[in-house]
Amino acid sequence: MSTALYVQLLNLVAGAFLLTAVLILWRRELTAIIDVFALQGAALATLVGIIAVAQGSAELGAVALGVLFLRAGLLPWMLRRAAVAAGATQRETRPLVNVVSSLLAAAALTLLAYAVSQPLVELAPSPSTHAIPVGMAVVLIGFFILVTRRLALSQLVGFLLLDNGITAVGFLTATGVGLIVELGVSLDVLLVVLVLQVLKTRMREAFGATDLDELRELHD
Amino acid sequence: MNTVQAGLLAAVVVGTLSALGGLLLPRPARSTVVGVGIAVSGVGALVAGVAAMAGQVASFAAPDVLPLSGVVFAVDPLGGAFLAVTGGVAVATGIYGIGYCRRDRHGHGLDGRLVQTMLPLFVATMMLVPVAAGVGTFLLCWELMALTSLLLVVAEHRRRPAVASAGRWYAVMTHLGLVVILIGLLVFSAHATDGSFAALRIAGQHLSPAVADLVFLATLIGFSSKAGIVPLHAWLPRAHPEAPSNVSALMSAAMVNLGVYGIVRVGFDLLGGGVAWWWLLVLTLGAVSAVYGILQAAIGTDLKRLLGHSTTENMGLVLVGVGAAGLFASSGDLTLAGLAMAAALLHIVNHAAFKTLLFQSAGSVVHATGRRDLDDLGGLHTGMPRTTTAFGIGALSASALPPGAAFVSEWLLLQALIHGLPAGVSATIVMPLAVAAVALTAGLAVATFVKAFGVGFLARSRSPEAAGAHESPPSMLAGMGLAAAACIGLALLPTLVLPTIGAVAGGVVGSGDPVTVTATSIRLTDFAGSLSPLLLTVALVVGLVATLAAARALATRRAAREARLWDCGAGPLSARMEYTATSFAEPLQRVFDDVVQAEQDVDVTHHQESRYLVEAIEYHRRVPDRIERRLYEPVLAVMAAWGRAGRRLAPGSVHRYLGYGFYSLCALLILLVVTR
Amino acid sequence: MNAPSLFGTVGVILQLLIVVALSPVLTGLMRQIRALLEGRAGSGIAQPWRDLRKLMRKQRTSPRGTTEVFRVAPLLLVATCLVVTAVAPFVTTASALDPVADLFAVVALLTLGTVALALAGLDTGTAFGGMGASRETTIIALVEPTMLVAIFALSVPVGSTNLAAIVTSGLDDPAQVFSPVSLLAAVALIVVIIAETGRLPVDNPSTHLELTMVHEAMVLEYSGPDLAMVELASSMRLTVFLGLLANLFVPWGIATSASPLLIAVGVLAFVVKVAFLGGCLAVGEVFLAKLRLFRVPELLAGSFVLGLLAVAASFFLA
Repeated sequence: MSTALYVQLLNLVAGAFLLTAVLILWRRELTAIIDVFALQGAALATLVGIIAVAQGSAELGAVALGVLFLRAGLLPWMLRRAAVAAGATQRETRPLVNVVSSLLAAAALTLLAYAVSQPLVELAPSPSTHAIPVGMAVVLIGFFILVTRRLALSQLVGFLLLDNGITAVGFLTATGVGLIVELGVSLDVLLVVLVLQVLKTRMREAFGATDLDELRELHD
Repeated sequence: MNTVQAGLLAAVVVGTLSALGGLLLPRPARSTVVGVGIAVSGVGALVAGVAAMAGQVASFAAPDVLPLSGVVFAVDPLGGAFLAVTGGVAVATGIYGIGYCRRDRHGHGLDGRLVQTMLPLFVATMMLVPVAAGVGTFLLCWELMALTSLLLVVAEHRRRPAVASAGRWYAVMTHLGLVVILIGLLVFSAHATDGSFAALRIAGQHLSPAVADLVFLATLIGFSSKAGIVPLHAWLPRAHPEAPSNVSALMSAAMVNLGVYGIVRVGFDLLGGGVAWWWLLVLTLGAVSAVYGILQAAIGTDLKRLLGHSTTENMGLVLVGVGAAGLFASSGDLTLAGLAMAAALLHIVNHAAFKTLLFQSAGSVVHATGRRDLDDLGGLHTGMPRTTTAFGIGALSASALPPGAAFVSEWLLLQALIHGLPAGVSATIVMPLAVAAVALTAGLAVATFVKAFGVGFLARSRSPEAAGAHESPPSMLAGMGLAAAACIGLALLPTLVLPTIGAVAGGVVGSGDPVTVTATSIRLTDFAGSLSPLLLTVALVVGLVATLAAARALATRRAAREARLWDCGAGPLSARMEYTATSFAEPLQRVFDDVVQAEQDVDVTHHQESRYLVEAIEYHRRVPDRIERRLYEPVLAVMAAWGRAGRRLAPGSVHRYLGYGFYSLCALLILLVVTR
Repeated sequence: MNAPSLFGTVGVILQLLIVVALSPVLTGLMRQIRALLEGRAGSGIAQPWRDLRKLMRKQRTSPRGTTEVFRVAPLLLVATCLVVTAVAPFVTTASALDPVADLFAVVALLTLGTVALALAGLDTGTAFGGMGASRETTIIALVEPTMLVAIFALSVPVGSTNLAAIVTSGLDDPAQVFSPVSLLAAVALIVVIIAETGRLPVDNPSTHLELTMVHEAMVLEYSGPDLAMVELASSMRLTVFLGLLANLFVPWGIATSASPLLIAVGVLAFVVKVAFLGGCLAVGEVFLAKLRLFRVPELLAGSFVLGLLAVAASFFLA
C-alpha cells in the first residue's frame, strides 16, 4: 500500500468515525442510534485493519477482526435485544440538553479535543497520530452523551462511544497495542455491558422503567 | 498652512461660530444657520481627514494650557480616517437637521437654545478626539464629547419620561467609562516622560507586561463601553432611540466609532501591538457583540431601538476585524493583519454611511407619524415614497447583500478570517468560529432588515398615524439623499476609497498595501481572491433587463387587471390581519429561546356563558436584556444597599456634617505625621 | 483584469441556455420519478414547460395595494439565478466574469433573490405572505452560517474562495475529493441546499396547506406571467444549487480548454450529474415526511456541526 493511499484511507475512516459519533448525538430513535453505533464499530475495525495492512502485522489484523466482531456485531446485537425488551421507550424524547445545543456542544468539544491533543501529535507527527484528535473528540462526545441522556440504554451507548474513542486513540498512538491488552479491554467492556444489562433488567422488574430521572425519587 | 491644517481649522472655527449662532440668533434663523454651519464644518473635517489619510500630517501644540504636556493636536492617517468619517456624517446630518429641528404644526421642535448650541459643539468635539495627541487633550475632548452628547440625548425629556431614564443610564456609563480610560492612560503616562502620545509611544516599547496588560484592559473596557460592545452596551439601546434622530445618527454613525479608534490607537499605536491574548479577547468580544446585537435587533419591534442594536452588531464586526488584525500581527503575518484591519476600517466607513441614512429615515418616520413601534407602522410607501426608498437603500446596504455596501466589507473580513488558518492553534480554533459568527450575524441582519423594511414601510398601515404620514421637508430629504448617495457610491465603487483605507490599515499594523485595486475590482495582495462589486451590479442589471425583455416578448400583451387579495373568501382583509413585526420575528425568537428568554403571557378571556367560546385573547411579549439582568441588576442592588447604609451617616444635623470635615482633616494630618 | 476570452463567452452562453431550458425539465423529471415510485402515471417530464407556457398566456393581475417591490421581485429572482448561472463553472472552468465567481458572492446573490421574494410576500399585506416571509427569512438566517462554514472548509485546501479555482484544484488533485473534509462539507451542503431550495423535509414544494407552507405562502398572490417567472426561478435555483454541488465535489467532465469535443463532454457531464442528483433527491423525498418548522433548526444545527467538523478535519488530518 502506498503512503498516499494509506493516509487517504486513514483520514476517510477517521472522518467516518467522527461522523458516526455526531450522528448518534443527532438522532433520537434508539434503533437508529444502535445502527449508527454498529457502523462506528465497523469504522473502528477498518481503522485498525488499515493500520494492520500498512504495518503488515497479522496480529493486528486479528485484533481488527476481533474488534469488528465485538463492536459491530456482538455489542449492537445485545443493545438491540435490550431495546426490544425495553419496549415503549424507544425514543430519547427530552434529553437534559436539547439536540441543537448538544450538537453545538459537540462542535465545541471537537475543537477542544484538537487543542488538547496538539502536544501529543507534535511528539511524533505521523499520519496516524494526526488523527488522534478524532479519537479524543469521540471520547468527549461519548462522555457528553453519558452525562446528558435520560434513557439508560442511550447512556450505555454513550459509554460505549467513550470506549470506542479510547480504543481508537490507543491504536493511533502506539501503533501496536498488544493483542492481550485489547482483549483485556474488550472483555472489561463486555463485562460492564453485561452488568449494566442485568442491573437494568432488575430495575425494570422493580420499577417498570429505566428513565434515570425517576431514579432520583428513590433517593428522596 | 497645508490642507489638513486649513480643513481642521475651518471645521473648528465654523463649528464654534455656529454654536455661538445657536446661542444668539433668533429662533426662526437658528436651525438653518446651525445646520449649514455643521455641514460646512463637516466638509472641512472631511477634506482634512482625506488629506491626512493620503499622508499629509499636521500638528499643533500649546504646552502650557493643560497639565500633562498641555494641549497637543496631531493629525496622522489613522486619526484622519476617523476625522473624515465624522466629517461626512456631519455634512449629511447637518443638512438633515435644518428641517428636522424646525417647529412643526404642534409647536414641537428642537430649535431651543440649548440644543442648537450643543449640536455644533458635539460635532466639533467629535472631530477633535481623533486628532488629540496627548493624554490631557484627549481626555478633555472625550469628556466634552460625552457631556455635549448627554445634553443632546435628554433634549426631549419634557415630551417623554423614558428620555430621562435613558439619560441617566448614558450619563453613568459614559462617565464610568471615562474613569477607567483615565486610570489606564494615567498609569501609562506615569511610565513616560510626559503625557504626549509621542512620549507614550516610546514608553510603550519598554513597558513591563503587567503594566501593559493593565493599561490595555482598562482602556479596552472604557472604549468598548463607548462603542456599545457587549456587555457594556446597556446604554446604547436606551440612548439611541430616545435621542432626537439627527443626534442618534451622529452618535451611532460617528461617536461609537471613536471607541474603536481608542482601542486601535492604544493597542496598536501606543502599546505597539501587544500580545495575542489581548486580540483574542477583542475578537471574542466583537463576535459575541455582533451576534447578540443583531439577535436583539431581529426580535425587537422598536424601529430606532432596533437600529441601536444593529450598531452594537456592526461595532462587533469591526472589532472582529481589529482583533483578527492584532492576532495576525502578533503571529507575524502582517499582510493578513493589514487585510483584516482594512476590512474593519472599511466597515466603519460603510456603517457610518448606512447608519446615518437609516437613522435619518427612521427620524423622518417618527417626525411624520410620532410612532416608533413597527407594529403600529406599515404602508408608509404611499405617504412617504422618498423616505421609503431611502430606508430601502439603507437596509440593503446594512444587510450584507450585493449590491450593498456592507457586503464588500464583510467579504474582505471573511477573506481575512479564511486565510488566517495557519496562524497557530488558537487561530485554527477561533477562525472557523469567527466565520460562523460573522455568517450568523449576516443571516440575522437579513432577517432584521427584511422585517424593518417590509413590515414598517410596505403593505398596509396599521395605525391612523401611519396612514396619514406625509413626506418630510426638502432639507431632510436632501440630507438623506447625501447619505444614500454615499451608500450607493461605497457599494458600487469601493475601489475609490479602498486604496487609501488599505494604506492607512497597512500603516497601523506595519504592512504593505493589503489590497490592490483595478478600475473595477478588488484583489487581495498575496492571496487569491478578487471581487468586483461594479461588475456584479452590472451583471445583475443586465440580467434584470434581459428577464424583463423576455417577459415582455413572451407574455400576453393584455393590460394587468387589478385583483382582490386572497382573503379565503371571507371578506376584505383588515390591517389587523397583517403579519406584525412581533409575529414576523416569532420563529426566530423560538429558535433562539435559550439565548433571549422572552417573557410572554397569554390571557384568554372566555365568554360568560360557556368556557368553550373565547371572547378575547391577549398576548404580551417582553424581551428583557439577559446580560443586563444578570450583570447589572446585582451591581445596582449592591449600590442601592450601600446607599441605604450611607443614609445613616446623613441624619440632617449641620453640626455633624461640619464635624465630618473637621475629623477627616485631623485624621489626614495625623496620618501625615505618622507616615513621615 | 484579463478580457473575457471567446472560450469563456461560449461557456457562459451555453450555461445560460442549458440551465434556462433544462431546469423546468429537471423539475418535471423529479415529479415524474416521484409519480412512478408512488404508483401514479405522472404527467411527463415536459409538463413544467407546458405549465409555464400556459401561465405566460394568462392575463397579468396586480393585487390591490401592492407596490413596485411586488412587481420587481420575480424579475430580480430570475436575474440573480441568471447571474449565478453565468458566472459559475458548470460547463467550463473559464468564467467570463471571474471577479464575480466568488463563492461568497454567489451565495449572497442567491440570498438576494430569496430576500426579494420575502419582501414581496410582506408587500401583499396578507397573513399568508407575512407568514411565508417570516419562515423563509428564519431559514435563511440559520442557513447562512452552515453555508459559509462549508465554503470555508472547501476553500482551505485551495486557499481561495473563487469557484473556478476550487473546481480546478479538484480536477488536479482527485485525492482531495475523497478526503473527509469534502465528504463532511458535502453532507453539510446537501442539507443546506435542501433548505434553501425548499425541498422535503424542510418545505414541501407541492403543499397548499397553510400550516406547512413556506415558499408557496410567499408567492400566493402571484399569477400569470409573474407566477411563471417565480416558478422558472425556483427550478433554476434548484438546478444551480445541484450544479454547484456536483461540480464542487465531482468536478470531472468539466471543460478546461476550448476544444469543441471537451465542451460537448462538459455539457453532457453537467446534464448527467444534475439529473442524477435530482433523481436521488426525488427518490429520497418519497420516503420523507415534512419536518415540523421548529425541528428544522435541529437539522440545520446538525449540518452546521458537520460544516464545522469539515473545517476542523481540514487541519486535524493535514
